Order: sequence, then C-alpha cells, then structure tokens
Amino acid sequence: MCWVVGIDSGSTMCKAVLFKNGYIEKLHIEKTGWNPMISAQSALDALFATNELRREDVRVVATGYGRDAITFADKTYTEITCHALGAEFLIPNIGGVIDIGGQDSKVIRLESGKPADFLMNDKCAAGTGRFLTMACDVLGIKLDEVDNFAHPTEASHVTSICTVFAETEIISSLAAQIDRGKILAGVLQSIAQRVHQMTAKIGFDGTKSLLMTGGLARSNMLVTAIAKTTGFDVKTDPNAQFAGAIGACIKEIKNG
Amino acid sequence: MNDNALPVDFDGFADARKQGFLDIKKLKDAGKKVVGMYCTYTPEEIFIAAGAVPVGICAFSDETIAEAEKVLPRNLCPLIKSSYGFAVTDKCPYLYFADLVVGETTCDGKKKMYELMGEIKNVHVMQLPQSQFDEASQELWYKEVLRLKERVEADFGVTITDEAIKSAIKIKNETRSLLKEFAELSMLNPPPIMGSEQLKLNYGQLFKFDLEEKNKELRQMIDKVKMDYDNGVRNVPENAKRILVTGCPLAGVTEKVVKAIEESGGVVVVYENCIGYKPVALNIDENAEPYRAIADRYLQIGCSVMSPNTNRYDLLTQLCKDFKVDGVVEMVLTACHTYAIETVEIRKLMQSHDVPFISVETDYSTSDTAQLKTRLAAFLEMM
Repeated sequence: MCWVVGIDSGSTMCKAVLFKNGYIEKLHIEKTGWNPMISAQSALDALFATNELRREDVRVVATGYGRDAITFADKTYTEITCHALGAEFLIPNIGGVIDIGGQDSKVIRLESGKPADFLMNDKCAAGTGRFLTMACDVLGIKLDEVDNFAHPTEASHVTSICTVFAETEIISSLAAQIDRGKILAGVLQSIAQRVHQMTAKIGFDGTKSLLMTGGLARSNMLVTAIAKTTGFDVKTDPNAQFAGAIGACIKEIKNG
Repeated sequence: MNDNALPVDFDGFADARKQGFLDIKKLKDAGKKVVGMYCTYTPEEIFIAAGAVPVGICAFSDETIAEAEKVLPRNLCPLIKSSYGFAVTDKCPYLYFADLVVGETTCDGKKKMYELMGEIKNVHVMQLPQSQFDEASQELWYKEVLRLKERVEADFGVTITDEAIKSAIKIKNETRSLLKEFAELSMLNPPPIMGSEQLKLNYGQLFKFDLEEKNKELRQMIDKVKMDYDNGVRNVPENAKRILVTGCPLAGVTEKVVKAIEESGGVVVVYENCIGYKPVALNIDENAEPYRAIADRYLQIGCSVMSPNTNRYDLLTQLCKDFKVDGVVEMVLTACHTYAIETVEIRKLMQSHDVPFISVETDYSTSDTAQLKTRLAAFLEMM
C-alpha cells in the first residue's frame, strides 16, 4: 500500500489530499489561520482519522506559501510545480494553469505534462482573491454569492488597478446609485483583464485548454469572463482548488 | 574643523563602515585625492594616472532611501535613491571624502539625479552616447574622455603624462585579466566556489586601494582556489544547476537573489552584471593612442542604456556557452525601465538558445524574500 499526503498551505486556505496507490482517497480543506503549522497538522489528522493511518505509514509533501513552516513534511516543492502537475492529473494534456489565490495570481504554461514557464503577480493585490474580497466587503455581498449577484450582461467598469483606489472608486459608484450587480460584474472584468496581461506575456498554445485553479475558480462568472477576455478555453474542475495538494502527491509518486 | 575630519555620526556606524572611513581617511591624510564613481563606464585609468584614488560609491542599501525620498520621487530605481541618499547623509565613507564625483548620462533617472547631487558635491558628468557603433558617438565619447582628463588635471592641479596614463592602463588591464581568470574558474564542473562567495570577492576587491598589492592578492587567491580544487576540495555539489545571473547591478541587499538561487539547488557560475564579468570582459589596447584606446574600450560595455544593446546579447550568448549554463536569471530593479523593457529581447534570445530564462523584479527591501524564493525555486524545479 502506497500512501501519500499532499498539503497546500495557501495564504487563506489549507488544502490537503490523501492518495492511495496513485488515486485520490480523501480531500480536506480548512482555514490556514494564523499558524500554517497548526492548520496543516489538523488537516493531516483529519485525513488520517478514517483510514486509521499513522505518520510512519505515509509520505507527506508540502507546498504553498506556508510550506517551510510545515516541519513534519518529508519534502517541499513550490506551488508552481505542484499546480502544474495537479492540473495535468485533473485534465490530462492541459495547456496551462490560471491560479488566482488569496494573495497572488499566477499563470503556468505546461509542455508534455510538465511546467515549462510561469508568471506571478505577487507585487500587488489587483487581480487576486484579496481584490474580490475587498469589493465584496464594500458591496455587502458574501464571497459565495458572487455569481448570484453579478449582473450577467452589463458591467460598470472599475478603472483603477490599485486595490486601494478601486475601493474608493466602488464607494463613489455606490454613492452615484449604480447597481451593485453591475459594479460587481465590473470587478470580475477587472480581474480578468489582469489575468489577460499575464496570459498574453507567457504565450500559451491556443489549441489547448487552460485549467483555472484556486478559490476564485468557484465563480463560474469569473471563469467565463476570463475565457472571454483571454480568448482561451478555460476549464474548471470540482477539485480544482486541490490542484496544488494533488500535484504535491504526484511529484512525490513520480520521484519515489 | 580640518578638511579630513570624520562625520559627526561616525561613532554610531558598524565596524566595517568605520574601517572604510578610517582607510580612506588615511589616504586623504597622506595627501591623496579621492574620486567617487558610480558606473562601469567611468574610465578610472585617468584618476589613477593623476595619482588619485578611484572608488565605487555606496549605492546598494536601503538605509538612505527614506532620506532620499524627501527630495526624489518614490517611484524611482532604488539604486539612484540610495546613491543620492548617501550623498545627503554622510553615511558613505567614500562619498564623504570624495574630492570629485564622476557620473555619466546613462539612464534618465541617474542623469537628473546627478544634477541634484551637483548642488551638494563636486560632480562631473560625462555625456555618454546611447549608441556604440557609429562614428559620431565614438567621437563624442572620445572627447568626453579628454574633457574628463582636463577636469581632473584642473581640479587636482596636476598634469597627466603619457607615461602615467600608459602605466595606469597596464595595471588596470592586469587587474581585469586576473578578475576574468578568477571568474572563469567557475567554468569548471562543479565550480570551485559558490556564486555568493564569488560575488563577495568581486565586491570586496573594489575597496582595495593599493593596486599592485591587489593584483598580487588576486593572483594568490586564484592559485589557492586552483590548488584546493586540484587536491579534491569540493565546495559545490556536483548536481547543482549552473545559473547565469544578468540584469541590473547586483550587490548588497539584492544578494537575496543569489541566496534564493543557491538555497534552491542552484549555483551561480557567472554574473553578467556590472559587478561581475561585464567590466572585465574587455581590456584596453596598450599599443594604441591611450585616450582613444580608453574611449573605445569603455564605450563597448553592454548596458541596457545603449540602443540597440547587441553587445549584451553577444556576451550573454558567449557566457551561456562557455560556462555551460542550465538557466539564466535576470534581476531587474523596480522602475529600471531600460532593463525591464530589454527583458523582452533577452527572453527571446534565450528561447532561441533553448536556455531556460526567468526575470525577477525586486528592490532594496527584504519584504519579497519569500516570493523570490518561490519563483526561483520553481524555476530550478523545472529544470
């Protein structure tokens, strides 16, 4: 029996997956919280519980920004490598990954199932989960309800790319009595524009699909907006949020 | 107060800084003139021939940036802000004691900053052409070299003889040859030393002012590294990925880039930067008319202020081959437009050679250390 655990400790959520003989056995997600080590340990315990596993039965691989804090991991890899391998596992022959996380966003180009090039935006909150969280706060909309609220056809453009200035702009739009749904649609388009800047620079193969991972992949409207803006076929997957944790397991299985 | 008094903040400085002040003060007390420089385009042979001491001025720390931003815009390259900050704070021993500061019209930010620095220091700015291959540009730079000679002679009350300039060329050629030989030791597989050590030495030698002594020390150091290697000493793992570093000047706080590479299973084998291989790649023709030879050699340095900057492409191509590099990492300082735009061409060049390439933007803060580590570790994981 070959057991591998992958833990993707992100800025907001800690995602963990248990692999048994090369297949997903169990998934677990919880808030990263203030201490990535505590949430990672708690995730590990949750995965172990149903299969009555002990630490010595499994190989543990960590990724994500909190990876170095997870001292019980056998190995660590960057989220770039892991997201790429995870995406290839979820959708074989995928052309690349668009990952919009809590505090950064990145695009990764794959060649023959492996990461070949990537670009990251981690200098600024624009085009990240933080940007959407801010907008939802100001608009009084819950993150999970973005798709219910955003206007399907009309968008009120948010022109500022700086999150701080965009907040001011949204407040002004609200004061001008502009419809919340239209403003939210404008916010989604603004994120799509930022993603487009990255996909254009990296040069994807237009004949292949891209997988959107990260928490924002749960918004179908955002996925659609990105597909429309970038011109690529953008897919998502029920387990897309776990792509990093899955990729960590794949990397370990391939190496081991 | 006598001319060579130490700055009022002297007691608060760290030991290395204090030593810098004391070393340069000793030279000043012995009657030497000190010339501060910022750039590898500065023909330092002229200062050596005039009996003065050329020295690179502090520009690699964030400690003076807040002070600089009281005058300069925030959205400016950190190297320029740091340089200006040192001028207004008396924290750099070399600038503090400099009798003359020489700059060039390299990038827009620097040339405008020099105007402001000229209000507080004795600054001479050389007009650097932005092209290297046409006769008008070459002629302008030659005249600028002569104008610098005249300025130095006038400021220091000396006459630079032909003999003196020829001997300055000779001793600097020797230093460049030694530094080149040292850098090329890392063509070995595995290289004899880590890239961080190479950088430390390259930076440290800039502050040795007895040139003959420096050349002797360099010779001994090269021989020692060679001997250790021949005796089987290995400081670098055999499987370390061989990385070429290029881009903006790299030293001080931006060593974080080197650290991130070498903590992730890479080793920097060569620096195509202003502290590194670039300034030692070429020597001055000792048989030609000295000022013409100086001008011709310095103008050929491949900095992104040149348009087009084909000398950089050629040097990168050659270094990738000679050092058998596995990947190229470019460091661009925030708001350095010329390097940031040239990245597009460098990426294409590396794609044409099938060499993995990544460009990272950073500044003089340490807040992006973790992000840099992720990018560079991912880059190395891909190989």
